[in-house]
Amino acid sequence: MEAVVSDVVAPEDLLKFEKKYNNELLKGAVSKETKFEYAWCLIRSKYTDDIKKGTVLLEELVQKSSKDDSRDFLFYLAVANYRLKEYERALKYIRTLLKNEPGNKQALDLEKLIDKALKKDGLVGMAIVGGIGLGVAGLAGLIGLAVSKGAAKS
Amino acid sequence: MATAPYNYSYIFKYIIIVMADCPHTIGVEFGTRIIEVSGQKIKLQIWDTAGQERFRAVTRSYYRGAAGALMVYDITRRSTYNHLSSWLTDARNLTNPNTVIILIGNKADLEAQRDVTYEEAKQFAEENGLLFLEASAKTGENVEDAFLEAAKKIYQNIQDGSLDLNAAESGVQHKPSAPQGGRLTSEPQPQREGCGC
Repeated sequence: MEAVVSDVVAPEDLLKFEKKYNNELLKGAVSKETKFEYAWCLIRSKYTDDIKKGTVLLEELVQKSSKDDSRDFLFYLAVANYRLKEYERALKYIRTLLKNEPGNKQALDLEKLIDKALKKDGLVGMAIVGGIGLGVAGLAGLIGLAVSKGAAKS
Repeated sequence: MATAPYNYSYIFKYIIIVMADCPHTIGVEFGTRIIEVSGQKIKLQIWDTAGQERFRAVTRSYYRGAAGALMVYDITRRSTYNHLSSWLTDARNLTNPNTVIILIGNKADLEAQRDVTYEEAKQFAEENGLLFLEASAKTGENVEDAFLEAAKKIYQNIQDGSLDLNAAESGVQHKPSAPQGGRLTSEPQPQREGCGC
């Protein structure tokens, strides 16, 4: 699953599907297929703005799709949000997919990966808070020392 | 032991294209396997792609630089077999001339429901220069062989010089200095060939 979420789109592919999308847009209506193809490329971009744009398109697709259709969109919404480090959101999408299809192995793998990232984020957060706590305690100690030294001098 | 890092001499990139007429893999899946050919350990990096129209345009980009391609149809569903020609054209156009393509008839365990004869598919394979096997992802019959047969052919192409390892997109890497991406153990993923519906 790591390989799938870290897979980066070839720039020429992104360009190709962007052109197709824009052409249809100019003509007035973008087909569902074209929108999905472009979105799938966007969310594999190395640029955050592209990924965000991809999620907007995928959201639009989910809104208009049947339950059966939505699995692909939900899966890539989860991948996109994982790439954006929006783990809570990623989890929300993958769990919606899993509600419809509890045994889907790809979805279960991705859920595990998101969970792991979320836990790691939590630990880092705790370490930062812990670090600040230690710093404050240390500072208080130093002040205390300075005060006591000062008091001893006078 | 499974915990020991594998030493392998080659990495081959494979793609699997599963002809499906119902929801199957979402887009692409990735897995690795270690196999052995002529005493050489070979790591297979496998991109399993969904052979569904929705994914077709984009999954094509995964075909590039594949050393081997496994095209899987379902012997109990003629519609999946009928899709082969056009997907084969894609695979040929997007891979290099040396890419080894193997045709696999999945669900060989369901003889009673067979919809495509062995002979017919065998002939199609011969006419198109493909290797051919019938296998069963369910029982595991011939699954390993499918990966192995393709690898043997690729290895043979390396040995006789018809596959240039220095060429861009040969799909083969020789002896990496260290296993990649921190994946020290192989994960022989069960290949979910064919769809369950």
